[in-house]
Amino acid sequence: MSQPPSADEVIRTEALTRSYAMGSTTVHALRGVDLVIRRGEYVAIMGPSGSGKSTLMNLIGCLDTPTSGEYWLSGQPVAQLHQDQLARIRNKEIGFVFQTFNLLARATALRNVELPLIYGGVPPAERRARAEEALREVDLGERMDHRPNQLSGGQRQRVSIARALVTRPSLLLADEPTGNLDSKTSHEIMTLFERLHRAGNTIVVVTHERDIADHAARVVTIRDGLIASDEVRTRTEAT
Amino acid sequence: MSFLEAVRLAIESIWANRLRSFLTLLGVIIGIAAIVATWSVIQGLNAYVSEKLSNLGKGVFVVQRFGIITNRQQFLDAARKNRKLEPADARAIAERCPNAATVAYEVHATVDLRRDRHELRDVDVGGITWRLLEIEPFEVADGRILAEHEEQSGAPVCFVGHDIAERLFPGLDPIGKELRVKGVPLQVVGVAMKKGSLLGVSQDNYLKIPFALHRKLFGSQRSINISVQAAYAERMDVAMDEVRGVLRARHHLQPGDADDFDFLTADGINSLWADLTSKIFMVAMFVVGISLVVGGIVIMNIMLVSVIERTREIGVRKAVGARQRDIELQFLIEAVLLSCLGGAIGIALAYAAAASLAAFTPLPARFPVWAPLLAFGICTLIGVFFGIHPARRAANLDPIEALRTE
Ligand SMILES: Nc1ncnc2c1ncn2[C@@H]1O[C@H](COP(=O)(O)OP(=O)(O)OP(=O)(O)O)[C@@H](O)[C@H]1O
Ligand SMILES: [Mg+2]
Repeated sequence: MSQPPSADEVIRTEALTRSYAMGSTTVHALRGVDLVIRRGEYVAIMGPSGSGKSTLMNLIGCLDTPTSGEYWLSGQPVAQLHQDQLARIRNKEIGFVFQTFNLLARATALRNVELPLIYGGVPPAERRARAEEALREVDLGERMDHRPNQLSGGQRQRVSIARALVTRPSLLLADEPTGNLDSKTSHEIMTLFERLHRAGNTIVVVTHERDIADHAARVVTIRDGLIASDEVRTRTEAT
Repeated sequence: MSFLEAVRLAIESIWANRLRSFLTLLGVIIGIAAIVATWSVIQGLNAYVSEKLSNLGKGVFVVQRFGIITNRQQFLDAARKNRKLEPADARAIAERCPNAATVAYEVHATVDLRRDRHELRDVDVGGITWRLLEIEPFEVADGRILAEHEEQSGAPVCFVGHDIAERLFPGLDPIGKELRVKGVPLQVVGVAMKKGSLLGVSQDNYLKIPFALHRKLFGSQRSINISVQAAYAERMDVAMDEVRGVLRARHHLQPGDADDFDFLTADGINSLWADLTSKIFMVAMFVVGISLVVGGIVIMNIMLVSVIERTREIGVRKAVGARQRDIELQFLIEAVLLSCLGGAIGIALAYAAAASLAAFTPLPARFPVWAPLLAFGICTLIGVFFGIHPARRAANLDPIEALRTE
């Protein structure tokens, strides 16, 4: 099965496992995941609580390294890389959206969105211009100078999406992005993801809500650390 | 991440916790303030001392019965052992020491002076031989200095320090006026330029009279101080050896005996002084060192607290691409800036302290220009030394764990 990944594969994993040693026992959070995601796909990952969705997302997002198995990101093997190399990949290739937003409380929306560019070494003027552009893309052009506590939950999540997009990553990952939002705001966020998908972004969203997953063209279900099903559905209607 | 960016982050976070930052810095502030203040006072004293205390010219030394006495036992020993110096000793030196070009002497007494309602206490009356004026010139403000014939005849005249003119003859020209010393009227022939005060003691509270007159007024029991101008300043030690030989012979000292007299030189005074101040400085440094170490530990502690409080922030930064050294740099710069801020406040305090010391006490203080540089250097070291551990701890946090903390 070990064939070199083809050019349009953003993600290819082979027999990916992740175990946690908990004292005398070992928790096998992932037990051999083979997954290929191509450029431009919109994938939802579903599964019961504790099935390993977040663990998989962290591996895909290069926040964590697998216990065993292989992982190519945009054709580049990353399973064995060191912390600082992973940091560089997270900066250039990946945009991560969290359930709890994870914005810096003391910084304005603009500063929050600039953050990845700071670590990417982008000069201040360009940084600012790009952050402003990303904020406008998520319809927050009027809220740039607000701090997180001056924004609603949905607005905060949009700031964090702008932060994820600002580096033009090859992959946008979202782990339960609507988990802390009411259903109306959730819907707005999912509409935003669809728009971003149509604009060409590759998106992977973890959710355990069926109607959220319905926005995606492909639904991967995980159970007990293994892929239980992988359905590609033809979209019946566009929103 | 650029260095400037890291500095900006550090400033933001110090500012966000300003009260805590300030309290954290007390140790460093006190340490730096103490170090700079001590140093300024010593610098001030040094400059002052070499300028004023040692007004001995080049190649000049003074032979005294007692040298600079630094403890009581030394004084008792010297008082028992050391013979009085007499004019005959000075004459012997003048005759038998080829390298002693000029020899003069002076004898001192202290009196209280009164004129009309005006009174001046503890006035130093120096009985001098005329040649002393060649060795230690006096600057004349008014009138003239003592003349050679007056010295020889013991004429009732005096040359007075500035305080005498000012305090005993307020609003008057003292030249030609009479001043009674031990009931004997002396005529004032000249007034010296003002010298000012040394550590709060006026240097203008004196009278110079002919040696013979002094003996008449105060008797001949007092030991004299013999001033010698060496023929060649650079060979002053040769002259001193000759003088030592002459005096030891006159005092019948055996080869193993210690000198029963002492030499005073400008270098001697300065080195004694340097010795004293360096001891003061070392003690001060020790105290300051402790306070700086304590200050450093407090900074380390607060940085560790800050790392824990900001674990989630560190996780976010790592998630968007901060490398270990970006995080390390951020916290290290924060620690260094924090301690330099303490240093800056400390310098400001020290400056204020030095200025008010100079203004309100007789202690002179000279604020050294390079003090800020030294202080910032020390603070940078403290910041790096005590900041590296918290910074490493922050840098090594696992991003997922960090993001999961509340
Ligand atoms: N740091 C860890 N240490 C030990 N066990 C862990 C750790 N992280 C995750 N696990 C375990 O791995 C398994 C998978 O966890 P994971 O967070 O991936 O589940 P999930 O599918 O995201 O669940 P949820 O829907 O509740 O978010 C769980 O059994 C969990 O307890
Ligand atoms: Mg999860």
